[in-house]
Amino acid sequence: MISRPIKEGFRGVGRHWGMTFSSAIAVTITLTIISIFLIFSWHLHTFTKSVEYAMKIAVLIDGSHESAAAENLIKSEIGKIEGVKSIEYSSKEDEFAYYLEQYSDQSIKDAMAPFGGDNPMRDAFYVEVEDGALIQNVASQLREINGVAEVDYGGQTTIDVVSAMETIRRFGAIFVAALSVLAIFLIQNTIKLTIGARQDEITIMRNVGATNGFIRAPFVFEGMIIGFLGSIIPIALTIYGYFTLFAHTQGVIFSSLFHLEQPIPFILYIAGILAVTGILVGFIGSWLSVTKYLRWKR
Amino acid sequence: MIECSHVYKKYKNGTNALYDINVSVEQGEFIYIIGPTGSGKSTLIRLLDGEEIPTKGTVKVVGIDVGSLRASQIPIYRRNIGVVFQDYKLLPTKTVFENITYALEVIKMKKPQVRARAKEVMGVVGLSEKGNAFPHELSGGQQQRVAIARAIANRPKVLIADEPTGNLDPGKSDEIMDLLERINRKFGTTILMVTHDLTLVNKHRKRTVVLEHGHIVADLAEGGYVRHDQ
Repeated sequence: MISRPIKEGFRGVGRHWGMTFSSAIAVTITLTIISIFLIFSWHLHTFTKSVEYAMKIAVLIDGSHESAAAENLIKSEIGKIEGVKSIEYSSKEDEFAYYLEQYSDQSIKDAMAPFGGDNPMRDAFYVEVEDGALIQNVASQLREINGVAEVDYGGQTTIDVVSAMETIRRFGAIFVAALSVLAIFLIQNTIKLTIGARQDEITIMRNVGATNGFIRAPFVFEGMIIGFLGSIIPIALTIYGYFTLFAHTQGVIFSSLFHLEQPIPFILYIAGILAVTGILVGFIGSWLSVTKYLRWKR
Repeated sequence: MIECSHVYKKYKNGTNALYDINVSVEQGEFIYIIGPTGSGKSTLIRLLDGEEIPTKGTVKVVGIDVGSLRASQIPIYRRNIGVVFQDYKLLPTKTVFENITYALEVIKMKKPQVRARAKEVMGVVGLSEKGNAFPHELSGGQQQRVAIARAIANRPKVLIADEPTGNLDPGKSDEIMDLLERINRKFGTTILMVTHDLTLVNKHRKRTVVLEHGHIVADLAEGGYVRHDQ
């Protein structure tokens, strides 16, 4: 008996092709926008995370506090600050080596090497914070510590970028949620029209003794088919679009901080989400419609 | 088989449709309900098939108190009765065969039985050759035959016919009447037919209940009807 609603659902889609098409288009548009936002939002999320991760605060130690005891004292002071995740020590020799490494040209490295004897660098602690939003606060507390010569982090611009992205991400999520609700309403409305067009059929079904569940099943399945049909184009667009974008950019945008997810399996997840969303939206929309229609009928 | 006792029906908009209706129909009877437009014939049918609930009194069909059924029980109850309409109410997108099998699938009959029974009733109504035709390819009389085949497919004890000949010319109406009479005789189906075709009522004489302004004004066992205000 399971096969009947499925068969009838497909038949309904075929016989009410115009209706099906218009509702599928509504789903298509919605899902396409949702897809773009999903991808955008996800990358914003990983980007923000990686920016936050990369943002360590450099605490440079005054030349008068370079003794191991003084540095340990500073380290314990740093550890007391709330929001500090990890502290990493880097000696002035490490710093100089790192500085030299920045030059890819060997001749420059050779020219610079002798300066290591009179190292101009300072011992440093690299402080990682638990949350990007805490950076400013932690930095100002670090400045208060005795023996700290200089506190340096990516700067205000970086912080602004992170918080701006956070805001965009939040609005994106609200927008996606609103769009999904809108899609449900669209499907509900279209299935309502479909039901209206098939009112005679429902009347006849009732007359020959069909139960509400029996009447509902094909309509609900039809809604799910419409939802699925509506998700095909967005899925195709997403897969094609993402692979093209990935190929064009080599997976990197702006800087190595902002890298695109590997297409597989990322894009398959997105495709899955789109298909499930489409079907779910079709299911909810048609269920609401049919139930509303059948509720008061005797 | 059908038992209406002191049935009143007043619609929510204030219209009084039926007053103190008392009708009893035995198993195997064939009875006409006649009356002018607005006399309450359609209301009576709606009470019988469970679409409406009587304001007062009880309507019993095949022993079931129709008015007391919950909305969800109505479909199950309807499997006991067959209904035929003036406008046939066939599914235009389904073939004759599908229209009949549909009514049987709805009540979850097994597939081989569905096919066999559909063929059988198509034979009864004389449309064995038209199984693959769509309703719009058939004449009015043929469409009504399909509707009758569908109505009797699950062997209902009661067949309610609402103006079954309303859209047909006299010749075709006679054919439908013959078919209904045959079903009544052969299967012992109780038939209640609503009509305002007096020619038909006088030609095929049967027990006739006359409704006017919601009242039963006559219940003629021998049938035939002459306007009493003439």
